[in-house]
Amino acid sequence: METIDCRNMSCPAPVISVKRALENLGEVCVLLDDGAPRENVARFAGNRGFMVREERGDNGWVLTITAGTPANVKSPYASKSGNVVFLITSDRLGEGPDELGRLLMKNFIHSLLETGELPYRMLFLNSGVRLTTEGSDLLEALDKLAGMGVEILSCGLCLDFFGIKDKLVSGGTTNMLTIVETILSNERVIRL
Amino acid sequence: MENRTMIQEGHLLAAFNSAHRVMKAEDVLKKLGLQVLLIPAPRALSTDCGLALRFSDEENFSIMQALAWEKLLPAFVCRRIKGGKYEIIWNNDENIPST
Repeated sequence: METIDCRNMSCPAPVISVKRALENLGEVCVLLDDGAPRENVARFAGNRGFMVREERGDNGWVLTITAGTPANVKSPYASKSGNVVFLITSDRLGEGPDELGRLLMKNFIHSLLETGELPYRMLFLNSGVRLTTEGSDLLEALDKLAGMGVEILSCGLCLDFFGIKDKLVSGGTTNMLTIVETILSNERVIRL
Repeated sequence: MENRTMIQEGHLLAAFNSAHRVMKAEDVLKKLGLQVLLIPAPRALSTDCGLALRFSDEENFSIMQALAWEKLLPAFVCRRIKGGKYEIIWNNDENIPST
């Protein structure tokens, strides 16, 4: 199996390299830095039905990505049920006074817990990443949603822009490639 | 279903009859370092603005003192009890003392 070295690459370069390798080779062994690169690549491969084996190496992580997932091996990154994705592009809901918008967003996400249907993924972009980071009033609600299988993902670039990369509390980070692929997939994307 | 909701048994809820009052109350209480969370009022409680402040018994006294001082007392305060029900422990009209 071919090995590609994606260490010291910034997102989304590792995901793009792995995507190309899988398209050409069908399986690949990839060397990655810990954190967002490892999470993003594992999630990308898992969501596409590949089996991902992760091992800590001397200098980073080794992910062995092979085609197909045997019935008795379930990837932790496989998609959750349901086909609705929420794209949350702001820490406020709707247009109008900021204070009201923030209140409505809190109200919306808290109310999600009371409903029977849940999105399978919530993508937080732009100022929306303030909702998943330290100081947010929604951490408890997002934690409960994650516990119910909702995938909570924040844009790594946005976290970096606001200087709150190390303040992420809920869920993991993602990149624009995953966001674009999600939007273009068969999921029903609802933008907030 | 119980664990997924924001309101667990023993939690107290202060229900307000105005969005402006509940937002101001949240702001005042947070600035005082009191632990409150503004959440949608459960369906079982009929409130005009559909919002309530959630807090614990330990914070009850301090919160009610602060709200009284700021003239921001809620319409009523209730406690979540067994079976997903609520018991009113303080009512602004009747002025039942808070425990």
